[in-house]
Amino acid sequence: MSTLDAHAGHHEEGSYLSGPPGIMAKIWQWATTVDHKKIGVMYLFAVLFMFFVGGMAALLVRYELIDPMRDVMVQTVDANGDLVETTATQGENLKDLFQGLGMAGDLTGTQIYNRAFTLHGAVMVFMFIVPSIPASLGNFFLPVMLGAKDVAFPRLNLLSWYIYLFGSTFGILSILMGGVDTGWTFYTPYSTTTDADHWRVVLMVTAAFILGFSSILTGLNFVVTVHKLRAPGMGWFDMPLFIWAVYATSIIQVLATPVIGITLLLLIFERIMNIGIFDPAMGGDPVLYQHFFWFYSHPVVYVMILPAMGIISELLAVHARKHIFGYRAIAFSSLGIAGVSFLVWGHHIFTAMGELAAVLFSGLTFLVAIPTAIKVFNWIATLYKGSIVLNTPMCYGLMFLFTFSIGGLTGLPLATLATDLHLHDSYFVVAHFHYVMMGGTVIAFLGGIHHWWPKMFGKMYSEPGALIGMALVFIGFNVTFFTQFFLGTQGMPRRYANYVDEFQFLHQISTYGSWILGLGMFVHLAVFIHSLVAGEKAPANPWGGLTLEWECESPPIEHNFHHEPIVKHGPYDFETTVPPHWDPKDYPIHPDAGKATH
Amino acid sequence: MMMPTLATAQPGALEKLIFGPKLPASEPAAMADGLFMMITWFSVFFFVVLMGLMFYFMIKYRRREGVPTEPSPHHNTLLEIFWTVVPSSSLLVMFVLGFQGYTQQIVSPSDAMEVRIEGNKWNWIATYPNGANSPEFQPLSKRVVESADGMSSSTIKGRDYPIFYLPENTSVKFRMNSQDVIHSFWIPEFRVKRDVIPNRYTTYGIKTPRLTAADTYTHQDTGEEMLGRDMWVFCAEYCGDEHSRMAATLRIVPQDYFNQLMEDWGVTGLPWEEGEKIYKMMCASCHLIDGGKLVGPPWNESSDANGQYGWGYPASLASGGTVERDANYYRESILDPNAKIVKGYAPQMQSYQGQLDEDDINNIIAYIQTLSEVPPNPHLEGEGGESESEAGNQAEEAAGSES
Repeated sequence: MSTLDAHAGHHEEGSYLSGPPGIMAKIWQWATTVDHKKIGVMYLFAVLFMFFVGGMAALLVRYELIDPMRDVMVQTVDANGDLVETTATQGENLKDLFQGLGMAGDLTGTQIYNRAFTLHGAVMVFMFIVPSIPASLGNFFLPVMLGAKDVAFPRLNLLSWYIYLFGSTFGILSILMGGVDTGWTFYTPYSTTTDADHWRVVLMVTAAFILGFSSILTGLNFVVTVHKLRAPGMGWFDMPLFIWAVYATSIIQVLATPVIGITLLLLIFERIMNIGIFDPAMGGDPVLYQHFFWFYSHPVVYVMILPAMGIISELLAVHARKHIFGYRAIAFSSLGIAGVSFLVWGHHIFTAMGELAAVLFSGLTFLVAIPTAIKVFNWIATLYKGSIVLNTPMCYGLMFLFTFSIGGLTGLPLATLATDLHLHDSYFVVAHFHYVMMGGTVIAFLGGIHHWWPKMFGKMYSEPGALIGMALVFIGFNVTFFTQFFLGTQGMPRRYANYVDEFQFLHQISTYGSWILGLGMFVHLAVFIHSLVAGEKAPANPWGGLTLEWECESPPIEHNFHHEPIVKHGPYDFETTVPPHWDPKDYPIHPDAGKATH
Repeated sequence: MMMPTLATAQPGALEKLIFGPKLPASEPAAMADGLFMMITWFSVFFFVVLMGLMFYFMIKYRRREGVPTEPSPHHNTLLEIFWTVVPSSSLLVMFVLGFQGYTQQIVSPSDAMEVRIEGNKWNWIATYPNGANSPEFQPLSKRVVESADGMSSSTIKGRDYPIFYLPENTSVKFRMNSQDVIHSFWIPEFRVKRDVIPNRYTTYGIKTPRLTAADTYTHQDTGEEMLGRDMWVFCAEYCGDEHSRMAATLRIVPQDYFNQLMEDWGVTGLPWEEGEKIYKMMCASCHLIDGGKLVGPPWNESSDANGQYGWGYPASLASGGTVERDANYYRESILDPNAKIVKGYAPQMQSYQGQLDEDDINNIIAYIQTLSEVPPNPHLEGEGGESESEAGNQAEEAAGSES
């Protein structure tokens, strides 16, 4: 996408990161900014912090599961030759840990475990993975990739950020007050009856309710931005695929999130005013809640994965310097997934619903597999005859193809009714959705952060360091979660603090894997900190990308572009735009560039 | 590709690795495993093809300095139609086979023996057609570790769970219902589970396998090797604190042994014996009888920082003050548990109104009385003996006179 006068220098304008002198002035500037880039960066740090909190909870969960809880009865023969019996409980690892820290209070071992896994689920879903890519990378790059100065409604964007903060405080308050033990799904009637004299469940549900508004406003903003603010010359099919993916995501967010809002409100009404909606003791229906909940939460699975798919399309094309294969197929399959995602919620409740409904939802669920498979085929075909460089973003892109394929294929026996009756609510499901959510979204997010890190902060990161982190994440992730498929098929249920001895070996391997995975994440953290402190200055276009963000400086100036860019070529036209023997790193291409090299 | 019906004969090595050493217990379960293996082979095929291509491209087309990329088409309609249609038609096959297997797994013949399954936090209770419940319990796993010098041994075990007996080669229909929150009744060896919901019955049917000479279990009390097959039962829907301890053993036994048990269990025992059965079935997941703390206070004579426990001892209340633990206290605590909350405990218990009748409550009180040295009627000092068996009899009289 060449611009008319990209070389006309206006370099006196500072980057968006430069601010007024004085720490208070800087904080005020960031807190009141309507710049989508600053808001994106604030979201990035916030969601990464939430990822850290959720990840710590995950390590706690795995720590408890190293061994089962058991009563040990020791029989000893004492000096007099009498038999002495003593009993003790072993394997309550979290209780021992928290007692060591003086934090266990009156809680039993299983109660601590239940709070830990609920904390992990709720933080990861509501505060990390739903906002993760759209709110951070989406906020930063959606306007830039469209060639716009900002999103359509910059003030609304700032409002979403504050709603996110406000909602998160409720969640954190609930955790600090002692945590919630309902699981992140808040199934009734458990969630309306547990913990009856405390407000923590209400607080946590309120947090999810408020965070929903943040999603809706961000989604609305992005839809309007994509419709109205594309640069001159950029038609719908000249948009980068990341934009298509975020666009499809935003539609789901705007349409589905109100349903969870209403559902959570009904839940709060039931708890506070004792209006019987879901609790059978008050005349309600508990399965109704599950329908409401999954009518939102299934589409939201695609809110989590679609932006990740968008990132992968960018990573593979840029680092293979290859036109994406089947652009329209990928773009339309994003919309197809968004559409079908509203029709498949029932597969979360196969074991609680009638036979006819189960059969219908099974059939519809298989439909989602088709556009997803098409995307994977297209990505692999994109690599054909490319020029592939194995740097960190590309390695994450390829890792995504590996782990996401496993995640997608293991969805098949869950959609098949006869096999799902066994696998439902087992560790097989746990492994499956971690392969999709972590092996899909988190891996793509990590790849995307590395890909756009030089653009966002104007600094390069240490490639060898990041590659070590990447390798640890790959090994740790697969060791942790591949074992869990076997646990599931052999009969291990989800959300168990305790288990029969037969499962211990696999659980131990899984826990060791989680330590490798955690180590990999800390290596990445160290690499990022090193880059911010001592990183080399990044060029405007380190990878040779052709989308508009690589025309900005690194980091971009406050209004992104010196002049409104005019789009002359597609986002992946490496073959036609870049002259032979011309290094795309030297992009933007000067009108005389071709001549100059010959 | 393995067809599902073939897999029922003898599971292969990979199938054993995936599903563990325990074989599927029924024909539909084996069919489900076969279908799973078919999907697995299908997935492995596509995964190998995709990853093979990816690694091949990764190496073949790695970046070389000064070598530009070769042009290649940006799309290919025929190829794209091919890779849309082929997976779609395979998915259709999976859907249809999955539908068939599903109907076989949950439908039971009309002459099946109906066993009622009741879930409550955190117990499974099975009621047989003659109204009997199982009085037998065992841990799901247990091992004895001898110390090196032979001077001591430790027994490592989980909690005791009920044993549900079923006769071999019989169609059984479970009619399931929950007393509180949603549970899910999963028997992994039958490859089937269904949610157990408070305001409706859910059902599924199984056909128990024929026993072979290789099917033996060790009886939990006698230690005898007997003909039969033990299976795990788990709760698969998260239901709170002790969710992971909501389990049972399903034991398939010969028909005549099963008939004998049904006869024996139909006979009612002494009040505190009946009370102990109810304790193990419904109360033991929250109340210990060795002074330990769980979700609820212990029942036996004991004490801790929050006060004393057991029949006849005063209960320190969370709201302040104390109350005597007498028959009325226990009756109220069963029917209206939140009326008096013991200090140090949360109001977690739900009312057993409607689940326990007057006889059951009397039996439980009689059992609680046997756990304490305080005589059943402390204010009638001197009347009656101190021995445990007499204490039980007295309890019955006392409870009878109060009601």
